[in-house]
Order: sequence, then C-alpha cells, then structure tokens
Amino acid sequence: MNKQLIISIGREFGSGGHEIAQKLSDIYQLTLYDQNILEEIAKKTNLDHNELRELEETKRNKLLSRTVRGMNNSATHNVTLLQFDFLKKKADAGESFIVVGRCAEFVLKGHPAVISFFVLGDHDVKKQRIMELYHLSDIEARAMMYDNDRRRKQYHNSYCPSKWGDSRYYDLSINSSKLGIDGSVKIMCEYINARIVEM
Amino acid sequence: MIAQIFAVIIFLAMFVLIVTEVLERHVITLGCGLLTLLLVFGVGMRSMDAVIETLNVKSIFTLSFWYAAGEASESSSGINWATIIFVAGMMIMVEGMARVGFFRWLCMKIAKMVHYRVVPIFVTFMILSSFLAMFIDSITVILFLAAVTIELSQLLKFNPIPMILSEVFCANLGGSATMCGDPPNIIIGTSLGYSFGDFMQNTGILAGVSLITILIYFYFAFHKELEQSAAKIGDTASYPDPREAITDKRGFVVSALIFLCAVVLLVTHAQTGLTVAFIGTFIAIVTLITSGKNALSLIKKVDYKTLLFFIGLFVVVGGLEQTGILNLIASFIGRISGGNVMLMVAIIIWISAIASAFIDNIPFAATMIPVIKSLAATQGVDLSILAWTLAIGTDIGGSATPIGASANVVGIATAAKDGYIIKWGKYCKVMAPATVIVVLLSMLLIYVRYF
Repeated sequence: MNKQLIISIGREFGSGGHEIAQKLSDIYQLTLYDQNILEEIAKKTNLDHNELRELEETKRNKLLSRTVRGMNNSATHNVTLLQFDFLKKKADAGESFIVVGRCAEFVLKGHPAVISFFVLGDHDVKKQRIMELYHLSDIEARAMMYDNDRRRKQYHNSYCPSKWGDSRYYDLSINSSKLGIDGSVKIMCEYINARIVEM
Repeated sequence: MIAQIFAVIIFLAMFVLIVTEVLERHVITLGCGLLTLLLVFGVGMRSMDAVIETLNVKSIFTLSFWYAAGEASESSSGINWATIIFVAGMMIMVEGMARVGFFRWLCMKIAKMVHYRVVPIFVTFMILSSFLAMFIDSITVILFLAAVTIELSQLLKFNPIPMILSEVFCANLGGSATMCGDPPNIIIGTSLGYSFGDFMQNTGILAGVSLITILIYFYFAFHKELEQSAAKIGDTASYPDPREAITDKRGFVVSALIFLCAVVLLVTHAQTGLTVAFIGTFIAIVTLITSGKNALSLIKKVDYKTLLFFIGLFVVVGGLEQTGILNLIASFIGRISGGNVMLMVAIIIWISAIASAFIDNIPFAATMIPVIKSLAATQGVDLSILAWTLAIGTDIGGSATPIGASANVVGIATAAKDGYIIKWGKYCKVMAPATVIVVLLSMLLIYVRYF
C-alpha cells in the first residue's frame, strides 16, 4: 500500500480491542504499537522496559508532582509524553502503523492518515471474555474490568480535552459484542477501505 | 475576627489549589489575592488603608525605592514591587544571554577544559551550577546544564542521572548564597533591608562550607557509577567545539559584559545605594537596547506568569499580616521555644526545610518574613540571625524531594525528554540525605557563628 495509514484504537477492557488491532495489523500488514513502544524507548536509553511499563497509561499523582514552565517531574507523565512523542515522530516520518490506546486519536488528531476507532462492548459479554481469558471468577472479572476501565478513563481524560469513549471524538465507535471480534473486524475493514479511497 | 477567618481560609485554599494544580498557579494567587481584597479588607476589615498598604503602589514612586542612601529598609507589607521588578529585569537579561548561546558555550568550554573526562566534568559542573545559581535563577541554570549533560552523556556513554541530580542540588545550594540567587532570598532581602553583601557574608559562607561538604558527598555517592559507565575517551577533536554554541558573536560579548555589570552592581549595591529594583530595571533596559530587533522577542519570553504569581501571593500574605494572623504564629513559636534563641533557630530552619521539601518555598518564605520580624520584635532576637536561618531552610529544604524546588522539576523533566526517568525513590535516596546533611551542618554553623 503506497498511502500512509495510521489506525488508532481506543478500547474498553474486555471488549477485544487489542485482538481486533492484531487482526487489522495482519490484514493491512501494519506494525502494531502498544506496550512495545516502551521497549523502543528503553532500548534507546538502556532502561528496563518493565520499569517503564508500570508507569504507562496511568494518571499522574497531582500531590506528588509539580509543573514548572510546562515541565513536570511525574514519572508517569514523562513516560506518557515520551510515548506521545514517539507516535508523532512515526506519523511525521510517513510510517503506517496501528496503535492501541495511548490517547492516539488525540495525539495524532488532524493527521490526514489517521483513522480512529473506539471499541466498546456489553458488560456481560466483556465479563465473560475476561473470565475465560484470565481464568477469573465473576467477581474478580468485574473488579478487573472496573479497575482497568477507570484507570484508562482517568489517564485519557487527564491528557485529552475529549472524553474517553465519547463517540464524537472517534471516526467510528463499534460494539464488539454485537458482531463478535471477526464481525467487527469485517465492518472496520470496510470502513478503512472506504477511507483509503478518499485519502 | 471575621477578617482573620477569611484570611486563613483564603490562604489555605490557595495552598491546596497550588498543590493540586487545579488551575495555573498565577491564576490561583491572583484569584485568592482578589478575594483577600474583597473579603478580608472589604467585608472583614472595611479598611481602604489596608488595601492601599497591601497594593503598595505608591512605594514605586518614592526615591528610596530606586536609590537608598544608607541602610534603607523596604516595607514587608503587601506587594513587594522591588522583588517583582528585579526578577523581571533578570529574566530579560537571562533570555538575552540564552539567545546568543552563552550558557551552552560556558558548559561546553568547561567540558573541553577538563578534556571531556567524566568525573572532572561531574565536579566542575556542580561548581558551575552553584556559581551560576548565585546570580541567575536556578531554572535557567538547570535547563542548560542538564541539556548539555545529556548531550555529553551520549557522547561519552555515561548515565546522566547522577550528574543532573548533583547539579540540581548545587543550583539550589548556590541560590542560597546570595540575595538574588533564589526568590525567597530576594523577598527576604528586599523586605528586611539586607544587601547582597550581607547575604554573601552570612548565607554565602554557610553555602560555601556546605558546597565543599556536598561535593565530597556526591563524589563518593556517584564516582564509581560514572567511572564504570563512561567509555574510553575518543578523539576529542571530533567533539563539538564550544564556539559552535555561539549564535551571535557581537551579542555574546555584549551579553557577557551585561552579566558582568549586573554582578558588579549587585555586589556593590550597598555601597552605591542603588536598589535591586534599580539594578533590575537598568539591566533590562541595557539588554533590550543592545538586542536591537530581538528586543521584542526577549520581552515576549519573560515569564509573566511567575510575576503575576508573586503579585497575587503578596496580596494574600498581606491579608494574613494585616489581620494579625502572622503575629499569632510568631507568638506561638516564641512560646514553644520559651525565648530560647537556639531552639527558635532549630524550629525555623527545620520547619522551613521540611515545608519547602513539599510545598513551594516562595509562599512559605513570604509568609514567614512577617513572622520572624514579629519574633525579633517581641522576643528581642537579632532579626538577621532568623533571616539567614529562614533563607537557608527554605532554599535548601526544597532539594529533598522532586517537587520541592523548580530546579528539581526542570532537571527531572529535561532528563525524561531523553528517556531518563527519575522516580521519587531514585531521587530521594540521594537527595534527601544530602539535604539533611546540609541543613544540619548549616544549623550547627549558625550556632557556632552567632551564639
């Protein structure tokens, strides 16, 4: 494919957003960026990417951080900015890729090659998927879903003027529980193909 | 009573809002300042005199504001315009120096002078950081020093974090040495009528002894790590030439001369009678005139938010002062110390240091100045001893945690831009003990020298 294509996927925990991204990555032969962005950053600085991983997609603690002339000491904040910078540089360099989460629909907003999706799901379907995937009980799966979605929402909303999951800020929002993962991928491909023609 | 309640609520609300960063800090202090004028002075005190005294505008139009023959003292009540004008003037001068590449040239020149050997760079950069911070705000010092440190670390293959942490500590320490090094010192000096020389002879000596101690501390804390990680030095001829940092040769010479002139004027201001407000204004005007077409861009780069932050802050603290709250705090400190001056010094230096480690030291110092003034008046204590104690406590305490001082935040953020993440644990492990050592040492030196 000659045209640059960047797909950003926001997702609710348990909706299968990551699996969808993986399938789209295979279909369009695009590099998938998620936590591996930190590996790239860690390689450059000789840092342990596991150390960085615990800081990503987390809202900064305002009581333990301070802003001076736009700069902040928060490790989570700085890791977030490193990831944003990584995505912007890749986009500006003309690379095509898929990115999961990381406020990509906001960070890359206005870039002509970006198509943004938000994948959501029905509560019970998501819970069932989490129970099977992580071998958890009903209560554990619900708690895990609640904690992850709350963390993602706080993280997203502290960096973006738009609200996490608000359909007005994504090109297409899709409920993966209705058509399943493959059905959703099919619809999303149709949309992507239509957009590519328009690019 | 109602005025006092309003003053305390507004002050506490201001602190909470600053810490939580709900809004930009200048918006917070200006908003709280406005509320102080309306609720404390208007509703509570019904005193137009208190408003006029706190706004303090008429002081600018007096001769003593610009030229003080003898030991004239500024009023500590209300907005300290001398501090604001001086800080604004120095900001313009520093922007002028940065524009022509002065700081980068200086750092690279020193690195070249020590033949790009890592440990000598480490030691000389700590000294440079302290020296520059004596005259220039620590944010600017660390912005340039940390950036050059990262550049050199990539060239010489060493971990820049130890060096940046040491530079941050030394910048805060250097700032404590002079009247213009750190905002609390400028406020203390202009509010209580102390000169640059007074600071040099008192906090300067404390900072000098502390610097020697802390050089040894950081050397033993980091030299093995730096020596191990540093690659063998290659052909230094291929390293960047310091002269490449200079963007405008004529501007560079002029900036260096203006900086020298500022240092001379500050060092001699007690003798010449020129106030810091005059020096700040003069330096700014000369910088702007010599910058030609770049003058407008220099003005635009002035950190107006910090200046507005100061204005709002002074009004809020003025509310506490006018309502007598700060006198109550002073008498409380006097009571618990039982008139024992040594205990009073210990209380002030440790409370200042601990508070400054977690909250902005500028509002803390501004609040404490009327307190120590009242303590000196009611307990018969030498005001200058309490002033030096307060200055050292607030300036040094800020080094203990990542959020204690602006330089810490800037150093951490500059390192992070290149992927060097400094978390709280990593920071405090080295910096908190260093802070305790210096505060303890300073307290002992104050005891030895003044008692």
